[in-house]
Amino acid sequence: MKQRTSRRPTVNLVINGNPQVLEVGVEVQPWHTLNYTLREVLSLKGTKVGCSHGGCGSCTVLREGKPILSCTTLTIECNGASIMTIEGLRDTSVMTAGGMRGTTTGNLHPLQQAFIDNYAFECGMCTSGMILSAEALLNSNPDPTEDDIKEALSGNLCRCGVYPNIVKAVHEAAKVKKND
Amino acid sequence: MKPFQHVNASTTDEAASLLHKSRGKAKLIAGGTDLLGILTDDILPAYPRTLVNLKTIPGLDSIKEDSKGLRIGALAKLSDIAGHPVIKDRYPMIARAAGSVAMPQVRNMGTIGGNLCQDNRCWYYRYPNHLGGRLICLRKGGTICYTLTRDNRLDSIFGGPEGCFAVCPSDIATSLVAMGATVTTTRRAVALQDFFTPSPGTILDADEILTEIQVPRPREGSRSAYLKFRLRKSIDFAMVNVACVLTVEGGLCREASIVLGAVAPTPWRAKGAEDVLRGRLVDDAAAEEAGQIALANATPLTMNKYKVAIARVLVKRAILASA
Ligand SMILES: Cc1cc2nc3c(=O)[nH]c(=O)nc-3n(C[C@@H](O)[C@@H](O)[C@H](O)COP(=O)(O)OP(=O)(O)OC[C@H]3O[C@@H](n4cnc5c(N)ncnc54)[C@H](O)[C@@H]3O)c2cc1C
Ligand code: FES
Ligand code: FES
Repeated sequence: MKQRTSRRPTVNLVINGNPQVLEVGVEVQPWHTLNYTLREVLSLKGTKVGCSHGGCGSCTVLREGKPILSCTTLTIECNGASIMTIEGLRDTSVMTAGGMRGTTTGNLHPLQQAFIDNYAFECGMCTSGMILSAEALLNSNPDPTEDDIKEALSGNLCRCGVYPNIVKAVHEAAKVKKND
Repeated sequence: MKPFQHVNASTTDEAASLLHKSRGKAKLIAGGTDLLGILTDDILPAYPRTLVNLKTIPGLDSIKEDSKGLRIGALAKLSDIAGHPVIKDRYPMIARAAGSVAMPQVRNMGTIGGNLCQDNRCWYYRYPNHLGGRLICLRKGGTICYTLTRDNRLDSIFGGPEGCFAVCPSDIATSLVAMGATVTTTRRAVALQDFFTPSPGTILDADEILTEIQVPRPREGSRSAYLKFRLRKSIDFAMVNVACVLTVEGGLCREASIVLGAVAPTPWRAKGAEDVLRGRLVDDAAAEEAGQIALANATPLTMNKYKVAIARVLVKRAILASA
């Protein structure tokens, strides 16, 4: 991170564990949504934008572990917040042995793997949001029922209609996470 | 979104004074789930110069109970209300209503104050400016309410006293009015039912802030039910919702409070239905009759007669569920 010399106000975020300092008036304007900042300023395009009106859930990210809509959140109001996007789910632990020693494993998160294994997406537009809503669920409820899953994902629309496979994938990821 | 300035308020006095000094050019932001949609679509002729953030005011999100009842700060989040152990235990209808709003993400962001102050959802009123220009309907100072001659399937079945037929969209309003809630603003304290007006929606002055909602302790032995009808089980607003509080003693109804939402420009008290239940055995026939009476004076528009039928059944079911 380059040294800041100006005295402009800043928005301090922790995104996927990495501190980010954004200068107001430079990288962030008061009217910028968190969705815009993530995608267009920080190039984290894993967070999608569907309706931009709070009605579809494709822009879901976790703020302090809870799912929120990045399209109807102002970045300037996230000062001090910890944000998790889909990019933050990959395994960041560092390999200690072998030829790739020192690099991160990059292994997929159990939810990501389960979504692939269960064909839980078609176009993928809803997937980041679905997975993040599911991640918040599994963190608070490691052993969810089908109804718990449906309720937790009820703010994420899938226009391809892959819902049954998504529910299966979340069940499977819950099992994998528990056995870890 | 078009540009605006942004100020974090640290007290309600500061926020009120910013509103006052701005002469109508500043707007409050709480959770932003309603306001930011409005600004994105630029539906109102006046776009704010400044947003005043209420979330930075300490303590405005508290939820407390004392011997008189419940006190909820205007900035309390809907998810905190829906999951609050005391509310779930002693005021379950409020937890259910809060938990029925939109979807988990909106409940993690939206506040109870914003829910009560939210603007209406009429799709003509909300028509985006960037798709050929906003509509200047009656509510915005124009001359006509578009719902009268166009698609009015979601609108009022109990008239439009100010000429606008958009309904009050708040789920929580219905349950709180049925519980006899009161509210405090930076200027006054009023019964929640008097807080709402057909247009612009609330009695709030441009520089007035809703600060707290008070809910009296439910009567000993009373029971309540909140039912919401919507097309999808999540995300959608109510097409009709009903809140009912009954006190039944020795099999007979002593007190009844029945309120309908999304059927009129303000929460709609079904006084006739309440009267017919008092002193009676609450059985299927009484609930059926109360449902009929609640809707007897309905004046549906060309496309929303179906709401009358839904409301009638919902009133009946809510009564039976709280008997
Ligand atoms: C997809 C979607 C579905 C929805 N479904 C439902 C539903 O089913 N039921 C329902 O009831 N609502 C629904 N909503 C509306 C939702 O926005 C509100 O429920 C939410 O509670 C608004 O709170 P907020 O804090 O986000 O308000 P904001 O957007 O911050 O504010 C809303 C308005 O109130 C004003 N305001 C906010 N706080 C105060 C205060 N303390 N004093 C004075 N004025 C204030 C603001 O200036 C603004 O004009 C839905 C919204 C979306 C986007
Ligand atoms: S893009 Fe945010 S809810 Fe649709
Ligand atoms: S996979 Fe296409 S929207 Fe869900």
